[in-house]
Amino acid sequence: MAKREAPEINAGSMADIAFLLLIFFLVTTTMDKDLAYLRTIPKKVEDQKPQDPVQKKNIYKININSKQVIQARDSLIRPENIESLNSRIKHFYLINRDKKEDRALNYPYYAFGTKAAFQQKLDIAYNGLDAYESKDVLTERDEKIIEQFNNEIQEWNKKIEMIELYTKFSGKKEMPEIALQAHIRLESFIKTDYSAYVAVQSEVEKAVTELRDEESEALFNITYTAMKKYYQQNKLENTPKVREYRKYMDLIELLYPLRLIEVKPNR
Amino acid sequence: MSKFRKNDDKKAPGINTSSLPDIVFMLLFFFMVATTTKEIDPLVKVDPAQGVGLNDLTPFKQRSEVDFLYLGEPLSGDASKFDQGIAVQYDGIIHKDGIEHIGKWKNDKFSSKPEEFTAPREEVITCFKADEKVPMGIIFQARDILQEENFNSIGYYAREKGNKNGYNIRQQ
Repeated sequence: MAKREAPEINAGSMADIAFLLLIFFLVTTTMDKDLAYLRTIPKKVEDQKPQDPVQKKNIYKININSKQVIQARDSLIRPENIESLNSRIKHFYLINRDKKEDRALNYPYYAFGTKAAFQQKLDIAYNGLDAYESKDVLTERDEKIIEQFNNEIQEWNKKIEMIELYTKFSGKKEMPEIALQAHIRLESFIKTDYSAYVAVQSEVEKAVTELRDEESEALFNITYTAMKKYYQQNKLENTPKVREYRKYMDLIELLYPLRLIEVKPNR
Repeated sequence: MSKFRKNDDKKAPGINTSSLPDIVFMLLFFFMVATTTKEIDPLVKVDPAQGVGLNDLTPFKQRSEVDFLYLGEPLSGDASKFDQGIAVQYDGIIHKDGIEHIGKWKNDKFSSKPEEFTAPREEVITCFKADEKVPMGIIFQARDILQEENFNSIGYYAREKGNKNGYNIRQQ
């Protein structure tokens, strides 16, 4: 039998098929990413204990009324000048930083923790725990106190780890920490527009992120934003890099905490 | 002179199109990688607010750790039927209870997550895709319900503003 050559396949319509697929994907998909400000709602509490009043200097109050006029502390900000919030918030964080005296009275003070001081606090907590655990009979109240001590020990251990990290990268023995109560308080009206509320959130986020980026760049040579992006993408993997970034981020968040209280409007 | 004589018999040579499919496939793959599928057709009008320094939700979406709800004026029908003229859309339907339905919706969503899903309740983000004119009262109503149900993470949806433009805030 004579050898027959296989007939060639006509590939002329391949382009048409590919075009068809391309157009299908162009129509059914979108380019834009979903972007948002992530916030947490405080956990619900069963019994409301009366709390100590927060000192006025530790509050940065921002109020947005139903006409989108913003009041930040004592100054009114028109919607077109909203960008000035950025420098105001930075001022709130930075004015008393690294100052032990001559502090601005109306702004949060800083504490300067040292490793020795944290160690001392840790020892006190351990001693307190020992005293309770050596008891023969434990009442319900005792158990609560023991749990409290355990939380405290965890907290101080964490603090010691953080200050070691800080000393290692900055060479300083003292870590500046803003007053624990210092926070930004965001109040709105029921009729306040979502856009105005988000604009204020944006300015707050921007101010704090810039502060964090600067600090992070100085300490670790990488911005906080870059670390956070990497962490969010890979947080389920337990690699050394992810753990390292988590630790770095914890330190930066301790140095520049974003404590934002969003108050429910009632008018 | 015969060198420059026109040769009328010759046809223009055909262009070789055999690499055209390759080029189109390349484009196709680019679009398949660079884009994401549309989730649902919106039933409410959402003009997002603008901001800077926004968080990209893509990694959370890939792990299905985020649920979106849409708030805005309904595209069809009478807006005045809804509380403050704002309809709330959950996964393709506008619910008649408006924002009050959010607790049930979140619980249903959470129990229908795949088995390998590990994130705890508190870390599943509820993202408000709200129109820029939505009053904050509605969102705080939702926050209260979410707090009651222990869904503690929320997201305020917005679009990247760009450095040159200002915020688009309605002045009154």
